Amino acid sequence: MQPVPLIRLCQIGKDYPSVSTSGNRLRMIASLLFRRGEIPHFCALQGVSLELKAGESLGLIGENGAGKSTLLKIIAGVVKPSTGQIEVNGRIGALLELGSGFHPEYSGLENIHLAAALMGMSHAEIDRKLEDIVQFADIGSHIHEPIKHYSSGMVVRLGFAVATAMRPDILITDEVLAVGDESFQKKCIRWIEGYLAQGGTLLLCSHSMYHIQTLCQKAVWIHGGRMHMYGNSFDVTREYLTYHEEKNCRAEHQEHRVHPEGIYQIRNLWLEDDAGTEIAELEMGGVLRICGVAHSPDERPPVILFGVARVDGTSIYGTHSNETAYVPGRIAPATYGFCVRLPRLPLLPGKYTIRAHAMDPEGLRLFDTVNTTLRVTGQTRDYSLCRLEHEWLPARPDFAERERGAQE
Amino acid sequence: MAIRKLWPYRWLLLNFLSREIKGRYIGSVSGAFWALLHPLALLAVYALVFTAIFRVKFPELAGHSFILFVAVALWPWLSFQEGAQRGALAVQNGSGLVKKVAFPHELLVHASVLSTYVVHVGGFLLVLAVLALSGSDLHLLSLPLVLLLLCMQFLFTSGLSLILAALQVLLKDVEHLLAPLFMIWFYATPVLYPASLVPPQIQQVMAWNPFSYFISRIRDLLMTGNSQIGWQDAVMLAACLAVFTAGRWFFNRLSPYFEDFL
Repeated sequence: MQPVPLIRLCQIGKDYPSVSTSGNRLRMIASLLFRRGEIPHFCALQGVSLELKAGESLGLIGENGAGKSTLLKIIAGVVKPSTGQIEVNGRIGALLELGSGFHPEYSGLENIHLAAALMGMSHAEIDRKLEDIVQFADIGSHIHEPIKHYSSGMVVRLGFAVATAMRPDILITDEVLAVGDESFQKKCIRWIEGYLAQGGTLLLCSHSMYHIQTLCQKAVWIHGGRMHMYGNSFDVTREYLTYHEEKNCRAEHQEHRVHPEGIYQIRNLWLEDDAGTEIAELEMGGVLRICGVAHSPDERPPVILFGVARVDGTSIYGTHSNETAYVPGRIAPATYGFCVRLPRLPLLPGKYTIRAHAMDPEGLRLFDTVNTTLRVTGQTRDYSLCRLEHEWLPARPDFAERERGAQE
Repeated sequence: MAIRKLWPYRWLLLNFLSREIKGRYIGSVSGAFWALLHPLALLAVYALVFTAIFRVKFPELAGHSFILFVAVALWPWLSFQEGAQRGALAVQNGSGLVKKVAFPHELLVHASVLSTYVVHVGGFLLVLAVLALSGSDLHLLSLPLVLLLLCMQFLFTSGLSLILAALQVLLKDVEHLLAPLFMIWFYATPVLYPASLVPPQIQQVMAWNPFSYFISRIRDLLMTGNSQIGWQDAVMLAACLAVFTAGRWFFNRLSPYFEDFL
């Protein structure tokens, strides 16, 4: 049997009313009461359709103000969507913001009671679980102090502890992990991993791509109130990071291209796989061929350079054809072709720029730059740009001597 | 939302209630003492002004003291006035919760009104006990009926508060309207005077004030022990239920949109 979706969103949209004048307000009340008429509004979310089955974990990413929190609030039932249908089958535990449901004047213990009651627990249930909650929060004797004296990290500890005790069918957290310290974050992640392993369902909103990749199978990228991308969390986070890199360098990095007649220049540049098919995407570790056609004004074969850079402009590698005494082949008058093969491309998944330049045969002057982009796919938790060949070896006995020597 | 659906939230209501009651006096030295002080101070002022300065005398007193006459009306009135005023601001004051947690918002209003009634009805019973012990002639046997009237009054207060609270979220004017409204309502209600002293033309208008019914009825029960139940009581009960239901309809119709405006 197909598992029943715990959450089903169908074309969800949310408008916030923009009311300024008092006459507007009165008319708006009437239209809300009798459910007709148009209210001036701005649109926070539009056409979001999603399904979340039991045991799935979904990450939510997007820029500030993209509508992530609004979407979470809609799913948590705090906000009523303006359009579309929402269906939720299960007990939701939502940690929407710092200290949601806490009263600053009351002590930690009293707030545990309140927060637990808000999540629908009875007195007896709370009392039974109180010890676990206090232990998980681990804030010592501060539990008896009013939480207005707490740091934001302590408030989050308390909130998360209550949510863990509730064992909801669906756990919704909105960027709450970020406030906790290292050890508490680890504790939370361990707990969430255990929760997921036992079939729990998670909806996580975070700006930490690491958390999204570790905890979520799938991810949604919300952009400008719409679903921009939905899919495997690795792919979506990578795409999202790429977007940010591009956004950052768009301002700084201006392309400067020169196109006067009669200079050495690359006329055409494309990428191929080993079979010779043109590609724009490559599996990590695959074979890449960079091919192109260059123009030589004086019929002498040009020197070809190529380089690989990250989309934000950080260069990774570059070399030129003189290094190996490679000479491009003449394919037509004043026209030379070249091809360079990169076996086992070590680039990590992401988006890269492949650049090529043509130089005079003396290799003195750089005339132009031609770019093309390459997307490397694959799944890995390696960091940074490229994979360096390595292997892990067992420790040898002489390591101990070395250690002793260092201590003396 | 059917009232039945609120049952799973009973613990939350209880929690809100204890929070409201404790919250009023938290940090204050003498705690619940303040709950009694305000009405007692009012009572002392009225007693001074009307018995020592104006020296009022009217047949309805029938041998009772003016203090007793005002006291039996003052606590029910104050539970209404304070309950409605607190209830009207309950959602706005609870905006932190409304914006972050999903729960039936009407509980905030119910807890505000209910806590006021708990505090003032407690004070009322205490004052009645003191009055009875000090030798006043009170018909305490009709107390159950008085409590029933207070329940009806509670339903009315809740219904009104729900409407005011919902409006307050959307129109911030409600807050400023409340003080003058209740001031006028107080003097239009026979708390400081018997309804029979009012000129007949105005009596017609006053008949529409539900609190002239509540106050006269409670006073009647306690001072003369007249516990006959008439058709008027049935109509009032129905009216209170209607106000309560209408208030809930109004409130729950608008409550999904509260988050947009808070």
